[in-house]
Amino acid sequence: MSSSTPPADRPVFTGLGVLSAFGTGLAPLAAAAARAETGFTEVTRFDVGRRSTRRAALLPDPPPLADAVLGAVSDACEQSELPSGAPLLLALHSDLRTREVAAEVSRGAVALGLSGVARVYTGACVAAATAVADAAALVGSGRHPRVVVAAGHLVEPGVFAAFDAGRALARDGELRPFSAGRGGTLLGDAAAAVVVETAGAAAGRGVRPLARLAGWGRSGDAHHVCRPRPDGAGAARAVRSALARAGVAPSEVGYVNANGTGSPMSDLAEARALREVFGEALDALPVSSSKSVHGHALEASALLELAVTIGVLGGGGLPVNAGWLGPDPEIELNLVLAGPRADARPRCALSLNSAFGGANTALLVAAA
Amino acid sequence: MNLLRTLATAHWPLGEPPPPLPGFSASTFNPLVAAVAERCLAAHYGEPGEPRRTGLLLASAGGDRATALAIDTAAAGHRMPPLLFFQSNPNAVLGHVAARWVLTGPVVAISPPEAAAPGEVPPDALESAALLLADGDADHVLVIAAEQAEAGGGADRATAVLVAAA
Repeated sequence: MSSSTPPADRPVFTGLGVLSAFGTGLAPLAAAAARAETGFTEVTRFDVGRRSTRRAALLPDPPPLADAVLGAVSDACEQSELPSGAPLLLALHSDLRTREVAAEVSRGAVALGLSGVARVYTGACVAAATAVADAAALVGSGRHPRVVVAAGHLVEPGVFAAFDAGRALARDGELRPFSAGRGGTLLGDAAAAVVVETAGAAAGRGVRPLARLAGWGRSGDAHHVCRPRPDGAGAARAVRSALARAGVAPSEVGYVNANGTGSPMSDLAEARALREVFGEALDALPVSSSKSVHGHALEASALLELAVTIGVLGGGGLPVNAGWLGPDPEIELNLVLAGPRADARPRCALSLNSAFGGANTALLVAAA
Repeated sequence: MNLLRTLATAHWPLGEPPPPLPGFSASTFNPLVAAVAERCLAAHYGEPGEPRRTGLLLASAGGDRATALAIDTAAAGHRMPPLLFFQSNPNAVLGHVAARWVLTGPVVAISPPEAAAPGEVPPDALESAALLLADGDADHVLVIAAEQAEAGGGADRATAVLVAAA
């Protein structure tokens, strides 16, 4: 039983900034996701001649990582009309450049009126979701009136080669979440930022929220260094924690943006987690993984996917689960596939992420 | 620390190599994290047993520099050792600790701007642990501070603190 603490004052999102393979802003990304127009292309940024996979979702001419992050932060702050002084929680890959990039982002953040980078999260594919949950806890408990969360990942040769050597990348060059014949993931460029503040603080300055962060949950599988727990029990606990914190019943959730990396094992475990939480209601619950369109942005993935999920609440259409070849008999999900659909606009949607180490996060967003 | 109650503290002795950690290569970072975590958890829990809602929080200013360097070097060369894939992020060793001790709380990794003094954990890591505990998804948090020796000298060092809400 979760003892997730409901916040004293509900957090909301008042600003959003996105840079993806589809360019700047949420609109081109959401449109591509709704039409299943994937962003994958041949990698020419560095030599992939010795790799088994040669595709990723790439910006044609990416800025340096710190600039990419600061662009998203600037857009989010502008949309939010953010007062000065908010701290920035930043998610980055842990490597030899982390400190340098974080310092550069911090200097740029101060120039934008923020107080600088308060914490750097390096926890792989849940890094950004962990930062969002912390931001919610910080504003919800009254420690800060508003917090900015940002993340960035640009596809680079070291991680690409390591993922290729680990056989994590799809050798057929397509990311096919939950599909028969799925063979792994594909990486993607992304930078994203959100402004999190309490509903009261936003109302106090006359700002209309984009969405509410109704609930969030975090858990560990306690299973393996990199494989998910096969029954999905850890991920299910994170989802239950988010629902409990929000006081939302599973039947009220109208869409799930799944972690769905395209990995044979991880997708199956996640489908089992969803079945455990939603039971028979899962048969009617639309599910997709927007990674199938924008790729896996690692430390930035959770924030990019959160942005896509917020866009769904705004009526942009559900992201299509692209790359679909046919059903996996072990996975029974109501996947959002290409073609006409009659899904209602969800009032409440989940964004799920899992990472090495058995880390799981669930972010539950609701219409403002 | 007034928001926290310390249940156990452990240090890995300076200059003493940690025992090898099966499945991890090329770097002392992951064995160091696993060794100091083992000491701290054993000091309070005794033996692994029933599942516990204990979170894991790894704080390292420098991170796993030896693995990062090995990845960059291998990417520029001809062959990437497959094991470097999963140890390319700091969560992997936390997964080892969580699996061994059946710890089901959140798994978090942060990179503070400065390393803590030897024998201490960064103040921000304790603040982060306090926030995790207040947030309700964990009953205890194991905070691990680990730093590899700088290229110019020094020694690997690691400290772990198991905390609960005060």
